[in-house]
Amino acid sequence: MDATALAYLAAGIGAGLVAIGAGIGLGHIAGPAMEGSARQPEVAGHIRLTMIIAAALLEGVALFGMIICLLLSFK
Amino acid sequence: MTASNANIRCCRVILLLLAGCAFLAFLMSRPAYAADEGGEMDAVAHTADGVYLDFAPFGTVELPRIFLRKEPWGLDVFASTRSTLLSERYVIEHEENGHAEVLHGEALHAAIEHHEHLYAKPQPVLGTMVLDLSITRHLVFGILAALITVAIFVTLARRYRRPEGRVSAPRGIFQNMFEALVVFVRDEIAKPCVGPKYQQFMPFLLTAFMFILCCNLMGLVPYAGAATSNISVTLTLAAFSFVVGQRKGSRAYWKHMFWPPGVPLPVKCLLAPIELVSLFAKHFALALRLFANMMSGSLLILSLIGIIFTINVLFGSLTATAVAPVGVAFTLFISFIKIAVAFIHAFVFTLLSAIFFGMAVEEHHEDETHAEEQPALAG
Repeated sequence: MDATALAYLAAGIGAGLVAIGAGIGLGHIAGPAMEGSARQPEVAGHIRLTMIIAAALLEGVALFGMIICLLLSFK
Repeated sequence: MTASNANIRCCRVILLLLAGCAFLAFLMSRPAYAADEGGEMDAVAHTADGVYLDFAPFGTVELPRIFLRKEPWGLDVFASTRSTLLSERYVIEHEENGHAEVLHGEALHAAIEHHEHLYAKPQPVLGTMVLDLSITRHLVFGILAALITVAIFVTLARRYRRPEGRVSAPRGIFQNMFEALVVFVRDEIAKPCVGPKYQQFMPFLLTAFMFILCCNLMGLVPYAGAATSNISVTLTLAAFSFVVGQRKGSRAYWKHMFWPPGVPLPVKCLLAPIELVSLFAKHFALALRLFANMMSGSLLILSLIGIIFTINVLFGSLTATAVAPVGVAFTLFISFIKIAVAFIHAFVFTLLSAIFFGMAVEEHHEDETHAEEQPALAG
């Protein structure tokens, strides 16, 4: 395999790993948030706000990974 | 009676959607033939920036080119890439089999005919290029979004000055809609995240929110593009957010960054660089998040449409025709998600900016905890 093929392979595997990581992370955020807002609907608004912040931060990290995968596959 | 009316309206909407799908499929079938004939479709160029507006199948509009060159210094302004090259003061190179050759005469006209000149980098015949200040697609749509934002807010502000809406309830769809947005930014973003000093950041937060929202929604308009899917735009936005925040930074904020109280000296030396890096990293992540989200939406749509062409090459045109409706349906679905993403990421950018502002202006109330630590250190 030459370097380009390896780069494509790395980009594909990396994208998959990023998806796994982001999926686990988002699950950890969304699940308890949903539980919490079901148990105490009066604070659902606050929970949603903090959930969105946490999800956005997590997504940022996932997107860093995705950009590296894109760079690998385009360059 | 009303129920049947609603049914008819529902049917009409569905018919309209179907017609839209059919039209989309028709538009997409055109490049498919081009691909059949051996033509290449540069997928990434459509999400990336460019020096032209693509109104396929009606043609393209070339945007003005502005170059700054040195030796001799000069600023060259051309109405389009075509006129740049036809003036013969700038040339493009055509690369074939590893060696580049400058295009002249017939070859140049052929390249212009095939729109190849739009992807090439013109080089000056005299002197060397310093800066390419050309007006690009993202710049055009970014300025358009800015103009829309200004138009909306100036009209709205005039209304409130009259004082319609300040002493009475807001009237009409326009005022009600944007008052809801303004109140949303104030009550959901500024007040909880910045704290009591939220008033001074409201202009920035509102402008950022509306501008990003306009840009993001512009990405969903056919033939237009999202300026926020360009990293230069989002980095500039983040830089503004950085400057606005740091300018108002309280003394406690700076002190906690470079000389955190209640921490031993070696750890202080270790913490200060980390804090300094995180100061920039936070805003860099802010820019990258917005950029990557807007970019990934259009890339996803391109990939879904690309599946049709991949299947066309692999399994023949019949399978591709069968797959095409699925691809278009998924594209429609992703487009709906993109509407949500447009709002969420305008919200997230504003929210995180507000949180960073909140960190900067916060007066520390933790003096009690430090007061406990400091005697211990002194002792």
